[in-house]
Amino acid sequence: MSSTRTMTVLPGRRARGARSLSRRSSLAGFLFAVPALALFALFAIYPAIQVFALAFFDYSLTSAPEFVGLKNFAYLSSDPRFLEATGQTLFYAIGTYGTALLLALMLAQVLSQKLFGAGFVRLLWFLPLATSWVAASIVWRVVLHPDGMLNELLGLDVQWLTSSAYARWALVIMSIWKETGFFLILFLAGMASLPQDVYEAARLDGAGAIRRFWSVTLPLLRPITLVCVIMAVLRGVQAFSPQKVLTNGAFGTEVINLFVYKTAFESARMGRASAVAVIMFIALLAIALVQIRALRRKD
Amino acid sequence: MRKTKVLAVAAGIATAASLVACSASAPSGDEKITISFWTHTHPPMIEVFEALIDEYEEANPNITIDYQTIPNGDFNTKMLTSLSNGSGPDIINMDDAAIRGEYLPKGLLAPIDPEALGAADAAEVAARYVDGALAGASDEDGTIYGLPSEFNGSALAINTAHFADAGLDPATTPLETWDDVSAAAQKLAAAGHPQAFSFLYLHSLWYAQQYQTLLHQTGGVIADGDEGALDSPEAIAALQTWADLATGPTAAADPNATSREATTPFQDLATGTQSMAIVYPWAMQQISETNPETYANLQVVPLPQANPSEPTSRVYAYYLAVNKASKQQAEAWRFIQFLADHPTEFLEGTDFVQPVVGWETTPAAQEIPFIDVWGEAYSVGRFDQVTPHYAEVQDVIQKMVNDVVFDGKSVKDAAAEASASVTRILQG
Repeated sequence: MSSTRTMTVLPGRRARGARSLSRRSSLAGFLFAVPALALFALFAIYPAIQVFALAFFDYSLTSAPEFVGLKNFAYLSSDPRFLEATGQTLFYAIGTYGTALLLALMLAQVLSQKLFGAGFVRLLWFLPLATSWVAASIVWRVVLHPDGMLNELLGLDVQWLTSSAYARWALVIMSIWKETGFFLILFLAGMASLPQDVYEAARLDGAGAIRRFWSVTLPLLRPITLVCVIMAVLRGVQAFSPQKVLTNGAFGTEVINLFVYKTAFESARMGRASAVAVIMFIALLAIALVQIRALRRKD
Repeated sequence: MRKTKVLAVAAGIATAASLVACSASAPSGDEKITISFWTHTHPPMIEVFEALIDEYEEANPNITIDYQTIPNGDFNTKMLTSLSNGSGPDIINMDDAAIRGEYLPKGLLAPIDPEALGAADAAEVAARYVDGALAGASDEDGTIYGLPSEFNGSALAINTAHFADAGLDPATTPLETWDDVSAAAQKLAAAGHPQAFSFLYLHSLWYAQQYQTLLHQTGGVIADGDEGALDSPEAIAALQTWADLATGPTAAADPNATSREATTPFQDLATGTQSMAIVYPWAMQQISETNPETYANLQVVPLPQANPSEPTSRVYAYYLAVNKASKQQAEAWRFIQFLADHPTEFLEGTDFVQPVVGWETTPAAQEIPFIDVWGEAYSVGRFDQVTPHYAEVQDVIQKMVNDVVFDGKSVKDAAAEASASVTRILQG
């Protein structure tokens, strides 16, 4: 009888003990996370909520905010400068990051082979990544000067930074140089982790290099590609430094972030700047969700 | 007895409290005070300020002046942001456009403290300065918010060596109108000086002030009430003058070849690349220090005019003002008065004119080269028009000029677009 009771009671005690230990561990884990959570709430969540709220106010930093409802959004919907900045942001993001992604993928395919000098070429592509945007922009200001290296190399006479026809392209060219290395690292890391037996099987089936790239490498790289595309969109939309340093937004190069900066800190229209931030947040969230769905659907 | 003790204690507390209160309102000579003071970057000016700060701190050992300089391009943004959130300096040195366009409407500045400035009232302070010199730091009611640290008129500097290369005699070559400048430029270009005359293409503040120089001459305004007026015939004439000097067959230089480093705005004139430029007194002083060889060849002549029979010159000023949120305003004004008591140091060290009555007859002023030209410029000087949200309006002017000069847009189209933008800014 007693042994039976022991048999039935002990597992329950063990289970309760295990649950208790688990609860204690969870509590300890939670307590360890509290400082980080508190800081995150204080410096990320709270300001974000403030930005959402401010979007419905007219606030000039120095006087009390005045509720204006949707006026800021209505103004932006017909503001040529905001619409132009949106267009320029799309142009910059697609031009720079679309090209950088493709270039990085192709380079990764080549540099992942054991070729002579591949390490050195990889280093050359990684160097811009280690340079700050501001430093790189200052260097490129010299490169893009009418008498600069780019015109010399290409035999052109182009006003890269003082013409609406070319300034946007100049920023794209400079940013491709700066950003390709970032995606190259990700693609190289992804390719290094791909299983070699699949390639062996493909070879045995007679697949050539191009066929292996399309049918093996690209599908297996989809998770990395998803990360790269999301990061490309985020980095593209968050562009600020090269536009600020090279043109300060002149000649049709004002992107959304620079528009927000000028609206908030030069014009002290915090409500309107917050409205732009809200629009950007919603747009980015929507784009990210679409990207995730589109790329995961095929998994 | 007990009651007496209570009264004595109460009296003691009251005395102590009043002492504390007194010490808070009027700091004793021993109390350590730090006054923060921000200016833009201009090396000769910084040297003068630093020397005067040393002198002031030596005479007032309990006071420390925390002096910071901020790069010109970031100055307005950083200053406005910091003053708005209460973290700004006690004393700022700010141009009149920013003061009238941003700081006064936002209520960020404290009115002058006549007592701390050693005067009975504001009228006595105003009487120390040339008529109108304090207008750049006054509101519509005439309340004064700052004392001038520099007062600038504009004139034209010419490189006489370049003129000699082109066979032009600076004494007889007409430079009364912008057409004259263009004609001289053609000869200078033929003599190997293609950058004969150029405007400065730096940040939007520079665009706006040069455009307003022309606008004063043609009689235009940026806005009439809350309506943009950049498409008025007068404003279009001003933009056309700029366009003629920068583009087409009458161009006086290639705008793409001008330097764009805002910390050294007159670099091309100073290095001998450019033959003529619109200058201010401080610019000449700066060139004399950085490029004495070029400076030796420079001559200052009156600013060319759109209508020589009614000459005008753009004037602008920087003012020393006190942050309304400062907790030591009286001390700050006392330091400002100390600076204002040293106009000679500013004249000798930086060519900064502090427009106190009779400044032009002082020995230091007489030492300034071409003082007669500068004196004439001040006599016909006008402050810029400043609108609400002036920073945005400056951006519009920059875009308008860029559209015409660099993108080939027609003057009328660019002006119409800019005018609509100004209206939108003022009414939005």
